[in-house]
Amino acid sequence: MMEEQLAKKLNRQVVGSLVGCVHCGMCDESCHYVLAFPDDHKMTPSYKADQLRKLFKANHDWTGKTFPWWVGADKVPLTDDDLETLKDIAFGTCTNCRRCTLSCPMGVDTATLNRIMRGLLSHVGVMPEGVRVVSKDQWELGNQMGVLKEDYVDTLEWMSEELEEDLGHNEAAIPVEKKGAKVMYCINPREVKYDPRTIKEAALIFWAAGEDWTMPEEGWDNTNFGLFSGDDQLGGVCAKREYEKARELGVDKIVISECGHGFRSTRFEGVNWAAESEPVAMETSVLTMLNYIKQGKIKVDPSKNPEPMTFHDSCNNARSGGFYEEPRELLKLVSMDFREMYPNRAENYCCTGGGGAMSMSEYTPRRLESAKIKAEQIRATGAKVVVTSCHNCVDGLNDLIKHYDLGCEVKQLVNLVAKALVIEEPEKIPEEFKPGDLEVTEVAEKEPLAGRKILVVDDEEDVRAFLTMVFEDAGAEVVTATDGDEAIAMAREHKPDLISLDLSMPGKDGVEAFVELRKNPETEEIPVCVVTGHPEFRQVIYDRPVTPPEGYLGKPVDEDKLVAYAHHIIKHRQERAN
Amino acid sequence: MPEVSPALHTAEVVHWIALVVMAIVYTLKIRWLLSFTLAKDRSAPGNPIQSDKKRGARYSFFNVAMPWSMESTRKPKGFIFYLSFVIFHLGVVAGITLAFVSTIAPDFLRNQAVGYPMLAFLIGALLVSIYRVFRRTLRPLMRLISTPDDYFSLVMLTIWFALGTCTQAYLMGIWGMTSEMLLVAYLYLTSFFLLYVPFSKISHYLYYPFTRIYIGRALGQRGSYPVVRG
Repeated sequence: MMEEQLAKKLNRQVVGSLVGCVHCGMCDESCHYVLAFPDDHKMTPSYKADQLRKLFKANHDWTGKTFPWWVGADKVPLTDDDLETLKDIAFGTCTNCRRCTLSCPMGVDTATLNRIMRGLLSHVGVMPEGVRVVSKDQWELGNQMGVLKEDYVDTLEWMSEELEEDLGHNEAAIPVEKKGAKVMYCINPREVKYDPRTIKEAALIFWAAGEDWTMPEEGWDNTNFGLFSGDDQLGGVCAKREYEKARELGVDKIVISECGHGFRSTRFEGVNWAAESEPVAMETSVLTMLNYIKQGKIKVDPSKNPEPMTFHDSCNNARSGGFYEEPRELLKLVSMDFREMYPNRAENYCCTGGGGAMSMSEYTPRRLESAKIKAEQIRATGAKVVVTSCHNCVDGLNDLIKHYDLGCEVKQLVNLVAKALVIEEPEKIPEEFKPGDLEVTEVAEKEPLAGRKILVVDDEEDVRAFLTMVFEDAGAEVVTATDGDEAIAMAREHKPDLISLDLSMPGKDGVEAFVELRKNPETEEIPVCVVTGHPEFRQVIYDRPVTPPEGYLGKPVDEDKLVAYAHHIIKHRQERAN
Repeated sequence: MPEVSPALHTAEVVHWIALVVMAIVYTLKIRWLLSFTLAKDRSAPGNPIQSDKKRGARYSFFNVAMPWSMESTRKPKGFIFYLSFVIFHLGVVAGITLAFVSTIAPDFLRNQAVGYPMLAFLIGALLVSIYRVFRRTLRPLMRLISTPDDYFSLVMLTIWFALGTCTQAYLMGIWGMTSEMLLVAYLYLTSFFLLYVPFSKISHYLYYPFTRIYIGRALGQRGSYPVVRG
């Protein structure tokens, strides 16, 4: 089966890369895995690409077919161990960042060869569990995180409500499924599930620019696990969903939110996988925001972002997408203290979360070890904020910042543009002043969790104290537990409106406790917001055969975000119950 | 015209036959490569300001003459390797020139203005190839990625450079090299070389224009070639 698949994937460019390698070893030090594991020579890009080259030579090259041992040709792996080894190499030691490609004197595109190897393995069902689950979700539900349509629409409504609260009017509400709009905005499901504020910020920017835009109900996921799994068929299906939706709505262009692989998949590879020549105009939201400023459609105040900032180039946006200067130009317009990291642009190192690495928890220790190259780059800038235009990079960078204790945070350009946005508010004269209204509004804003009971579960005393303080300041009554067993007992006793659950705890951990809570009729309806310092466990908990948690936040937790999440989750649950 | 010994004459004939065989195999190899579909990129140019397929292809093709274009050849260690690459390949050109010109116009190579640079190129390449043999056999990384063909090709070239150096010295009448058998042996080794190369990794130069132009066009279309760094 693998031979047949390989034959289908061969084209002149791929064959050129397969026959062009002279084993000179020049690609060696371009790879962050090699630099992080200098004694493990199997990390070298040419060795990784040779795994595919062996199969190719054995099946398609005359010398390889006649004298296989002479040129290192090899038959299709026969044992499960062989396949596992190949899986480990193709998925666990390469993020397909393409840095080695630019360092090859022969122009061998090793990243493409590695993706083909991933595709062959995926075809015979050999892939990391995370990749399998995510691919399945994308095939079946139309997005890689299994977000249900009602949850997606609900999140858009929630963000519209927040915008209305912030602006005092509903003119910035997110238009959904608007036919004939000029722009269709596509996002990463991570934004719906973990970071909906980016949707709100984008909506605010579109509104401020006076854009005629919409978000679709279907075909909104700009990500594409076909890029990571090597499955061109999945790649084509995902891309087509967006193109077809854009045609159905009759929009002028698709604007792709800040997602590196989403941009590359939708804008470039997708048209090839879907065999559609330029189906609709597409651009990254970075360019859209930059043009708004240049055209005077929005005004920004860089003093709103005074912290020292550096910029990390997403591999897919930069090396595979040609966008180096535009994000820097935008960043300089909306911030005060930009510091370049070195090397940068085409030679920047991978965040180590690329190529689907964030969904492969089995390789997390190795990934974090390989991240020391990136960590050193960031540390040298002295920046307090690392800006990037990719959601995978956000997760990858957050992980390594915590692991290497860099003491900085990660932001996207949409966060900074929204913060720097200058909104000229029209003067409003209330029709009739009612002192009581103001009081009620202030109380509601100050104590959005008033009357709610929240169970905080965390083994670390300082974290428990912090979460308790935040929830109590928001008006909630808080009860606490220090491990899984206590959490279950407290949940049964207190029937809280929400459980804030840590995952990594001694004794019964958060994952086990979560499953028990969900399976117990007494507690199954209690909404759970996971608050963890281990983002790599995300997939573990979502893989459990129970209803997934209602929220998921990574530590360190932003106070406002925590309260907003809690408020939204409880409100949403109440609306459903009603 | 000086009289040619039967041994040399036979070596010359074998050499020319080997050349014809190599040309035929190379033609077949290029036909084989071209038999694969050329994948077309349907996407619109990536970055409106930088995207240019042809510019990317040109940049990529001439990359071999631009050591500053790649990190792997720009860093001090890599630059030294790049210099050794230049010396090695100049030696290859000198060796091929020697094989053909020695039978057609040997007096040209006896001219000191030509002969000594030829010697310098061949000796330089010989030293580099000896270094490369050690590099490939002693460095664990190189051993891991090397096939028998990699070792054999390199050793064969090392012997070829050594014999070429002696042959050039023979043609110039220096260093006590007086036996015509040096030239005969060199031509036979070159003949073997010509027959072996199309089936080995040495034929990489045949693919160079293809691989470089393809990657150059692909990344040029995206706007990421020529490489941008700050």
